[in-house]
Amino acid sequence: MVDALAEIHRVLAPGGTLVDARPDSRVPAYAERRKPRGFQRFGVVKTSRQELANDRASDLAITRVVREGLFKRKRAGRFWHRVPFDDLADLRKYLSEHLRFVHRAEWVVDSATRKRHSNDKFVIRRAVRYELFEALRTRM
Amino acid sequence: MSGVAKGSVGDLGRYVPAMSSALRPRPNDELREWGGTPLVRGKRILDLGCGDGRLALGVARFATSVEGIDPDPEAIAAAKRNARKAGVRNVRFAAGAAQHLPFPGAAFDLVILSWTL
Repeated sequence: MVDALAEIHRVLAPGGTLVDARPDSRVPAYAERRKPRGFQRFGVVKTSRQELANDRASDLAITRVVREGLFKRKRAGRFWHRVPFDDLADLRKYLSEHLRFVHRAEWVVDSATRKRHSNDKFVIRRAVRYELFEALRTRM
Repeated sequence: MSGVAKGSVGDLGRYVPAMSSALRPRPNDELREWGGTPLVRGKRILDLGCGDGRLALGVARFATSVEGIDPDPEAIAAAKRNARKAGVRNVRFAAGAAQHLPFPGAAFDLVILSWTL
């Protein structure tokens, strides 16, 4: 990963910008039912251990190239993104196949409520983090 | 740019399929969060891990040029199809690895790692 970031630094003009945007595994995602107005939280979806480890490795690589003087942190932020699903079964299928999340949500509503609304539209709401870096001129 | 970047990734793309665009934010939404069109306007842009070209094609109308690189050859084929379909002419796509980029030094003003690192 550090190799890739060093290569990115090579192809970036000095003063150029690197954008790193990815799901924010530091906060959980949420399974939500779409209502006529707004959303109802149905469950919490945690990031898989493997992906947490990958994200930590990415963070360490970024920290290293900043420490080595290749990049300077400029700005960071976070926003929420909703992934839509036709119904609860569709959401469950996604979770069972997707590697980023654990395969089962931790439901915060009872099974009767889930059954009653199983044909409603659902979303997974997850945080996306981004950071902008400036490519620094390195001394030869 | 050649079809396969220097330091070919071999079969890597077969095992690291590009993430479906349908599950990602729309390019305009993502760009707005990062700072809006001033970030990309008139810039030479490299989209690393471009997948099927979702973001590269989304920012192309503002940019001078966009290069998209992804280890998945099937995603690159889809990106090229999407570019043809959209009639976008200032974007090029190639299979390759981020560790060996087939570009000279200081070739870009902006590099995007969107859901890549």
